[in-house]
Amino acid sequence: MKNRLKVLRAERDWSQQVLAEQLGISRQSVNAIETGKYDPSLPLAFRIADLFGLAIEEIFQRD
Amino acid sequence: MFAQKAPAYRRYLRRFIPASLLYVVAIFLASWLIPDGAAATALTVGIALLPGLAIIGMIWAMGRLLVELDDEYLRMLEVQKALVATGFALAVAGTWGLLEIYTDVPKLPVFLIFPVWCGGLFLGQLWQKARGA
Repeated sequence: MKNRLKVLRAERDWSQQVLAEQLGISRQSVNAIETGKYDPSLPLAFRIADLFGLAIEEIFQRD
Repeated sequence: MFAQKAPAYRRYLRRFIPASLLYVVAIFLASWLIPDGAAATALTVGIALLPGLAIIGMIWAMGRLLVELDDEYLRMLEVQKALVATGFALAVAGTWGLLEIYTDVPKLPVFLIFPVWCGGLFLGQLWQKARGA
């Protein structure tokens, strides 16, 4: 699964650590999601979408 | 790093470290107090089971970590390590057991299975590092 997390984070000038703290997860998790090593669960994907004020499919897309 | 700051990891260390220290002390105590080939009396069995209780404590600490870790990615990494460790311990026990049946290699003491499993955790961590996890 592809995602726009890195771009969205950069637009807001957030570091991975800042994003991780806002989501209540580890910076390692943010990095793993951004680099496509890990696909988040649906509840976490919803939290990410809510944080950016977007729909899940605007952040995550099929390969 | 979150992994070290996460409350679940702090609780894990607070549980695991005393249990592992108890294991070392209990092993020394049992080796010191019980002579080789001692009869299985209530006292010798009780002393010999002390390290076992410590092992149960360590396993319980690891189980609680998986339950309490609320970061799903870190939890997945821990589960992956446990699976690698289980596969490694089963492979060592199974293949060495066959060697014991068909050849005259020394017997692998069963109590070593847990340390072998813990060695598997380390291998799992190395595998994750190699994959950039």
